[in-house]
Amino acid sequence: MTTSEVKVDELSLEVKGTSGQKIAVAVLLLVPILVFAITPLYNFSGPKLFGLTFFYWFETLWLFVTAAFFAGAAVLLNRMEGGRK
Amino acid sequence: MNNIEVLTVFLSLFILFIALGFWASRFRKGDMSDIGEWALAGRRLGGYLAWFLVGADLYTAYTFIAIPESVYVKGAVYFFAVPYVGMTFGVAMITMPRLWKMSKKHNYVTAVDMVKDKFNSRSLALIIALTGITAELPYIALQIYGMQAVLTVMIGQLVTSDVATITEISLIIAFIILAAFTFTSGLRGAVVTAVMKDVIIFTTVIVVIVLVPIYIGGFGHALASMPKLPTGDGTLAPLFLNGFISLSIMSALALYLYPHAINGVFSTNSTKRLRMSTALLPLYGVGLALLALFGVLIYGSTKALALVHVYGAVTLVPSLIYAYFPPWFVGFAFLGIFIGGLVPASIMAISQANLLTRNVIKPYWTKMTAKTEARMAKYFSIVFKFIALGFIFLIKAAYSLQLQLVGGIIILQTLPAIFLALYTQKLEKWSVGLGWAAGMITGLTLLLYSNFVQFKYPSIETVFFKFSTPLSFLYVGLIALVVNLIVAVGGSLIVNAAKPQMIEAPSSAGKK
Repeated sequence: MTTSEVKVDELSLEVKGTSGQKIAVAVLLLVPILVFAITPLYNFSGPKLFGLTFFYWFETLWLFVTAAFFAGAAVLLNRMEGGRK
Repeated sequence: MNNIEVLTVFLSLFILFIALGFWASRFRKGDMSDIGEWALAGRRLGGYLAWFLVGADLYTAYTFIAIPESVYVKGAVYFFAVPYVGMTFGVAMITMPRLWKMSKKHNYVTAVDMVKDKFNSRSLALIIALTGITAELPYIALQIYGMQAVLTVMIGQLVTSDVATITEISLIIAFIILAAFTFTSGLRGAVVTAVMKDVIIFTTVIVVIVLVPIYIGGFGHALASMPKLPTGDGTLAPLFLNGFISLSIMSALALYLYPHAINGVFSTNSTKRLRMSTALLPLYGVGLALLALFGVLIYGSTKALALVHVYGAVTLVPSLIYAYFPPWFVGFAFLGIFIGGLVPASIMAISQANLLTRNVIKPYWTKMTAKTEARMAKYFSIVFKFIALGFIFLIKAAYSLQLQLVGGIIILQTLPAIFLALYTQKLEKWSVGLGWAAGMITGLTLLLYSNFVQFKYPSIETVFFKFSTPLSFLYVGLIALVVNLIVAVGGSLIVNAAKPQMIEAPSSAGKK
């Protein structure tokens, strides 16, 4: 359906890598997002931290975890992309 | 308190800010009569600067005025902003490097350039461009509300009468200065000043979040003093669970559809740096989470609450700072919040101007030279700033956050044309156009219906539509996007089944 020329153009956008690497990237990107999206996982008042309910402090701290996971995904993706830095 | 000292520190730092803004035009110097140089800083920003620039889009009056205000007034549902900032950079990690590569290859300056190419349709591109320009307006207006909030507290403590008039005049002066350096320095001005703004804001947030709980006897005390809030106080009220989830996911999808966010992405110099700086942006969100907590913290402080009762909920963060810190720090923090509205307003106006010249006017004025294009964009950036300023003098929103969330409903309708088109050639232009129309009509109708019929509010005060339980409250943006997607994807499937040759992609993407 699509012309071959477009296909070549699309291919250059693909990130190359082994399926293991791809799964790792998917996990690193999806886990932080899913935890945030499933609000019942953290909508509790205890345990408390600095007097704050779990609802507030968990979301705040989860941002650090998110950054770490995303950074892991970025390192992997950058390696898979290869080429110049 | 020595209010003259507050003002002196504020003004001295503001002068430094102006100087930086003008100096920025020499920063990694380029030919400013080229739109790519003016609006994208020549696509030469490395990882750190890109981090600050995209972070500047996040750390706006939305963060230090609108979210704390909403948490304070309405409660836990507005903590949705924290999952939002966590998730949005995941969305960006997936979509933005791809868009960046396409833009590099085909020399796109805006996402609408890509839309025009992919769908081979000038009209669809026009619709998407106008949607982007419109959605930015309430976002800029929100920045101005934030700046106004700081000035109200500062000037209100300094003089006894005419506070509103003096505030308005000060705002206009600040905007003239901003317009001048945006005109001269373009995105470079925003980047360089963004670094200054973020250093001040980060320092302020950390100092306040450490010291204020100590002064008031801890978060536990603040939470205990909190009244029952409509959407929950210590935790989210179960009735607002869907509201919380729909707001956070939709906001996460919306951020990188905004022209100013894409502008920041295009100004970076490599996909690798773009990816890494995006990955680390949730750290920026920690500041947002702490600021949102100010909305809880204030309940522990009768001193700060007294100020909020005088100046309004919108002044929550400035009031909290004013109540507890020495004059020099108040001046320092206030300037941070003030330019925290000013810098994003500049970035947003640049991206609007960019869209208007490149994707609205240029397609119909084919003889436009590159020089004229850049010059026109510079003038339009001034026009848009003053339109937004006029907007806030005319429209008084009950809560500043609602402005941005209405903008969200609008910008979400560009999702099929921008995000989906990144991945597929099978979308068909008429279906996408109709989907956009269906989404817009649904969104705006539901918004008006819920505010004026369901809840009978005097103005736009909510972006939720109330279903009967178990759905209960849902963000109107989600409903509108679902309608849009059904029409766009469904329509494309039908058209593709009928005439497969119609959907063939243009073989030569419009290089220039």
